[in-house]
Amino acid sequence: MKADRHIGMLAAGLALLGLALGCSEPEPASPAGGGGERPLRILSLTPNVTEILFAMGLGDQVVGRSTWCNEPSEARALPVVGDTLHMNLNQVIALKPTLAFLITGREEVARGLEARGVRTVTLRSDTLPQMFDSIRVIGRETGREDAARALVARIESDLAAVRRRVAGLARPRVLFAFPMTVGSARIMVAGRGTFVDALLEVAGAENAYPDRANWPTVSPQKVIAAAPDVILVHAVGDEGAPDRVEAIRRAWAEWTSIPAVAGGRVHILTEPYLTIPGPRVGLAAERLAETIHPELQERSP
Amino acid sequence: MTLQPLSARRYAVTVLAWLALWLVVAAAALVLGARVWVWESGPQLNDALRDALYGVATASVVGGALALAGLAFQALLRNPLASPYILGVSGGASLGVILSSLFVSVLVQPIFGFLGALVTVGTVYAIAQRRGRLEPYTLLLSGVILNAFYAAVIMLTMGLVRPETRGDIAYWMMGNIGRFDLQWGLVGVVAVLAVGAAVVFAFLAKGFNLIAVGEETAGTLGVRVERVRHVTFVVASLVTGAAVALTGPIGFVGLIVPHLLRMVVGPDHRRLVPASFFFGATFLVLANLATGLLEGAVAPFPPPPVGVLTAMCGGPFFVYLLRTRWRRTAEVQ
Amino acid sequence: MAQNSRSPITETVPRADGPYLDVRDLAFAYGAGPPVLRGLSLGVERGRFVALLGPNGSGKTTLLRILLGLLAPASGEVRIAGLRPADYPAGALARRVAYVPQGTSSVLAFTVLETVLMGRSPHTGALGFEGAGDWHAAREALRLTDTERFAERNLEDLSGGERQRVVIARALAQEPDLILLDEPTAFLDIKHQQAIHRLLVRLRDEQGMTVLCVSHDLNLASAYADDVVLISNGRVAAAGTPAEVLRTDVLETVYETRVRVECDEVTGRPYVLPRPED
Repeated sequence: MKADRHIGMLAAGLALLGLALGCSEPEPASPAGGGGERPLRILSLTPNVTEILFAMGLGDQVVGRSTWCNEPSEARALPVVGDTLHMNLNQVIALKPTLAFLITGREEVARGLEARGVRTVTLRSDTLPQMFDSIRVIGRETGREDAARALVARIESDLAAVRRRVAGLARPRVLFAFPMTVGSARIMVAGRGTFVDALLEVAGAENAYPDRANWPTVSPQKVIAAAPDVILVHAVGDEGAPDRVEAIRRAWAEWTSIPAVAGGRVHILTEPYLTIPGPRVGLAAERLAETIHPELQERSP
Repeated sequence: MTLQPLSARRYAVTVLAWLALWLVVAAAALVLGARVWVWESGPQLNDALRDALYGVATASVVGGALALAGLAFQALLRNPLASPYILGVSGGASLGVILSSLFVSVLVQPIFGFLGALVTVGTVYAIAQRRGRLEPYTLLLSGVILNAFYAAVIMLTMGLVRPETRGDIAYWMMGNIGRFDLQWGLVGVVAVLAVGAAVVFAFLAKGFNLIAVGEETAGTLGVRVERVRHVTFVVASLVTGAAVALTGPIGFVGLIVPHLLRMVVGPDHRRLVPASFFFGATFLVLANLATGLLEGAVAPFPPPPVGVLTAMCGGPFFVYLLRTRWRRTAEVQ
Repeated sequence: MAQNSRSPITETVPRADGPYLDVRDLAFAYGAGPPVLRGLSLGVERGRFVALLGPNGSGKTTLLRILLGLLAPASGEVRIAGLRPADYPAGALARRVAYVPQGTSSVLAFTVLETVLMGRSPHTGALGFEGAGDWHAAREALRLTDTERFAERNLEDLSGGERQRVVIARALAQEPDLILLDEPTAFLDIKHQQAIHRLLVRLRDEQGMTVLCVSHDLNLASAYADDVVLISNGRVAAAGTPAEVLRTDVLETVYETRVRVECDEVTGRPYVLPRPED
């Protein structure tokens, strides 16, 4: 009698265990090297990363973006979670992301996301090699290494095409500058080694700023000393408004000893993609080349 | 140092001496700031000199303006720790520039800065005046309230704008002298206001001395205390607002310069007014020169904005001030 | 100077008749408070030394402030040499009337000489330049108050008595016709009390100065003043020579305490004694 009861209980326990095992969710696909069968829920917190994700065909797996991720146009429909300075964590949790990509110097943002169970990958893209690396990392993390390789190859061939167009042309000294919005004591320029610097090189120019630096700020005398032949001022959005563009022109017009000013080669460019290290760098290089070498525009149909 | 009568001749000699000091320092700053020895071509030297001249001119008018305003507010509020920014004018000017930067170009922003200063002057007056009288205590409180309000609105604005703009705003708030777009017109406006303030305060200097002894005593010696207060408040606020609209709030000049001069020249405002004007200019020209010389010193970092340099001097100086006995007598009039 | 006087009399021509200091029916209250002066009238001729006595809160200091043009009366009239304080052009009143307050404080470290020179302020021009005449007047004021040796020292480094003499010197530097003092010897020892009262008498004798001195010290007033005015409840309770005013019945009514009045055999003036035995 007693033995029967024990066996009965054991059987019931085993049955319950089998039921529990059968009903549990399967474990999510392991992030690294997963087969990619399970859809990921990706959070993209930086504009160029968003573009890369969409270019790799992962757009349908992106569940949330930062305020500033406006490209490509399909991304605009995605829910916004704030930016790396102010993130709406409730929104983040509600979206249930499994993977997050961001570019930030603030470690606490990445740690905060990790603490909520989101695998967070911090990328860097100050230089072209870093950008290509970031694409490969995204490929690895999402199990789309083929797509990553294809994107890298496409970008490289875009750049090669521009290089061919400018081969043989004279290489002017070019300064790539960003105006300040409040006051104008100094301006920010692209130093050597940045991806913009690499694009200038692709576009057949030499960076007039001589030192290796990311985004240094310079004084008027520094620009006079650098003596660029061409100055490109990147004014996006509100800064591209006519009165502000006019203000930039008037600001530069004073410094007549600069060859670019004397030669009327101060160009104000408003295309946002010029400074986004992503899939459109080829387009950026082409635009730069056509601005720096006006003779190209006469050639092309 | 035995006292001598402050005759017209002696006064003129003093003014000329301070003026000469400023001229010498300004000339040196021009040559050193333009680094005349590095340029090979004439046009480059011209541009560098223009840049340095703009720096010297701006530093002079703003330094003079802030030192005068600091002296005037210390007299008005009978408080040695008063600075030109104590009544909220710099907050108003800053907010004017920052808010307008969201809509208008860099060329026009200083005008809105000055408008912000004007609005602040009116607001502080409206809050602080009681039956037409401006009392130091209520003025101070109104300034504290307004400063807190402006700080909050500026922080709110910084939270709402693009990340790049945040950095620009923060940089502007540190106080800068050089610019790519040289605003000679605005420098001229500040110059006129600063010289005007110097003249007005020269005529009020006698009153400042007497009011420092006691409001009642000043009244019995023929000083129209309320008129002096009103004029001082308006003139000092306007000149501060214009200076901040031009360069952003450069700190500690308005506080340090009057105190340094009191140690040398004594407490007589008749001597302090011209001294503050010229030495304030000299002081800021030197500070600006220092930031220029620091260019490239700690590569790859840019040199600190001039406001940062003055603050770094100001901090220790402030401690020194607090430690030395600030003279007060026991009896109260 | 004074805020608009609401006196009913509007003439600005100096009145030739009437005493040098002519106060008629003065009424005043601070803000919405109780009236401090309730129809006070008094007249002081030139060159007289008048002591202004009265209990605390009787309105003595308020009267001085109105005479100086610092306050405007609610009603009644004040004329100094025929003109009301508000009628004097800027600074002119300060050339005629000098004020010696009870104490002095300063947030800045002025020397004694600088302090006394401030008394020349009504005479120096708009920019405050000092001429030889100003320096002479300042030095003379220092001499009269026996403070010459302190000239270069800071004011706060002096004792209370020395500082008070410097304040008097400042008033003298104004070269006034009328000098108003608010308890000038309140914190001084007997030596300095007498020295200052003697100085005031000398000024009256040598320069014809009119002196109006508010005091709590009945005996010093009795000893030195020509006339005594006793103020109580915002009105003049008694006025006249010390012998006429400082009488037991008058004093006991005004001060609401028992006192004993004796006559000094040497000077013939009354002196007031407290009555601890009651």
